[in-house]
Amino acid sequence: MSLGLDLSYLERSARGEFDLGWLRDTDSEWGVRAVPSKTGLTLRDIEIGSYGKVPDHAPLRTMAPRGSDVEPDVPDMGYTINDKSEVWADNLLDLYEEAVSRQWSATRDIAWSQLVPLDPDVEHAMCQLATVLSEVEMVAADFPAKWLWRINHDFVEAKMFLCTQVMDEARHTEVFRKRALANGGGLGRATAVVERFLQLILDAESYDEGSALMHLLGEGIVLSLFRAGAALSPSPVEQQIFRLCMQDEARHVAYGTMHLRYRLERDPSVAEDFHAYLDQGEEIIAMIFSTPEIVEPTAILAAGSVEAACELGAAAGDVLRRQIVGDYLKRCAHAGLDRRGRLHLPDAIIEGVPGAVAEVVA
Amino acid sequence: MSGAAAPFPSADWFDALVLGATADQAAIERLGTAELRFGMEFVLADGSDAFYGLVLDGYDIDAVGPTTEEAFGPEVVISGPLAAWEEMTGWIAANGPADSAHSLNGLSIAGIPFVIRAPDAMGSDKFYRFMGTLQAVFDAGVPGASGAATPVGAGQA
Repeated sequence: MSLGLDLSYLERSARGEFDLGWLRDTDSEWGVRAVPSKTGLTLRDIEIGSYGKVPDHAPLRTMAPRGSDVEPDVPDMGYTINDKSEVWADNLLDLYEEAVSRQWSATRDIAWSQLVPLDPDVEHAMCQLATVLSEVEMVAADFPAKWLWRINHDFVEAKMFLCTQVMDEARHTEVFRKRALANGGGLGRATAVVERFLQLILDAESYDEGSALMHLLGEGIVLSLFRAGAALSPSPVEQQIFRLCMQDEARHVAYGTMHLRYRLERDPSVAEDFHAYLDQGEEIIAMIFSTPEIVEPTAILAAGSVEAACELGAAAGDVLRRQIVGDYLKRCAHAGLDRRGRLHLPDAIIEGVPGAVAEVVA
Repeated sequence: MSGAAAPFPSADWFDALVLGATADQAAIERLGTAELRFGMEFVLADGSDAFYGLVLDGYDIDAVGPTTEEAFGPEVVISGPLAAWEEMTGWIAANGPADSAHSLNGLSIAGIPFVIRAPDAMGSDKFYRFMGTLQAVFDAGVPGASGAATPVGAGQA
């Protein structure tokens, strides 16, 4: 392959005969002066002039920065996601800044030395939950990573946000692996049903499908698990772990919700596709709700012991179940996708959740 | 702390809360930027209520109130009996940073005693996105509290 090395230019430039075409003859916008806001120079601050215009359809498939003066003979990078609505969300720029600003370290920011010995059953429950979370979190890095190189560079802010998600999920995988190994327990059991859901996300045939399954459904559930974990933590150490993870996860869910909204507003005809993706995802989620390795550790942490959890029965997990389904329905509604009366979840799971069943209009 | 004697809830009490929470500005900045209009409703024994707000704006924190929910325009509201609020702030003042049972999250997750309400899903999700900052405001700012503003950055301390 010829890269077009111009030997004569080397000779001319050595004599001081510069080309200067890039300086005198460029089509990109000049004279732009972005003004920092009070937290620094944000993506919103540089969303100005022609640089702030994100095309609905990318005209080229290059890595050239949007707004730059692109030479005509640039190679085609083969991007397959070239429509803005496939990846965009109105809160994208703010979520990116938030993600960068609110990073934390699983090594430095968790007071590991303050872990306290727990009742062996409670420690086992915490370790089993940590095992599941360490398992599921990495798919939320694998999925964006799988699609990042297919997304047109004109939507670079979406790519940048997904990069923050990859880092967030690496840290979540790290922190739960560390928790499982830090207090006398160890890793627990990985189940086939969880792996099947992760496979569904990873093997999604489109970004639409994978994002709905992961950002909206899967991460919404994990967000509720983090929230419950923070409330049920046996010590301030676990409380801090879950609280920090909850903040990160809520950003991903906020992107997924607003991305779906953006997508549906521009092409309502794809709503049925999304319903179909979620139909399938919910069927596996229903199986997860009946997976002992997830249900029972949460119930034991909520009740404080195996005996107390057994006495409470389903009541120990009712709060979590209602929160997961209720928040999911609200996010779907905000995105413009009404799942009421369409949920592929058994009655035992949606029981008591306001709005889970469509009201019959007389 | 200058606002230690202020009645709860009151404008003076919330001013003292913000003053205490921002005394260590570096700790607030380590938590990261936040953008949220957070409403707090105090339901009194006679059924009436009082309403205050916190505005998280970048690294700035401002208290608003007394006001009304309509006037404040919150993205999310946490509402509960005054007695539960007093129990929470009293526990933090006496013991330092809230444990799970006395945190904003712990007190609201079951809908008892606190309830979270928001005009839309984005509002309630913002409560989750900025939970660390909101809790740090109370942990460090409750008049009489001696807790650190944030465990983030506290490392192995």
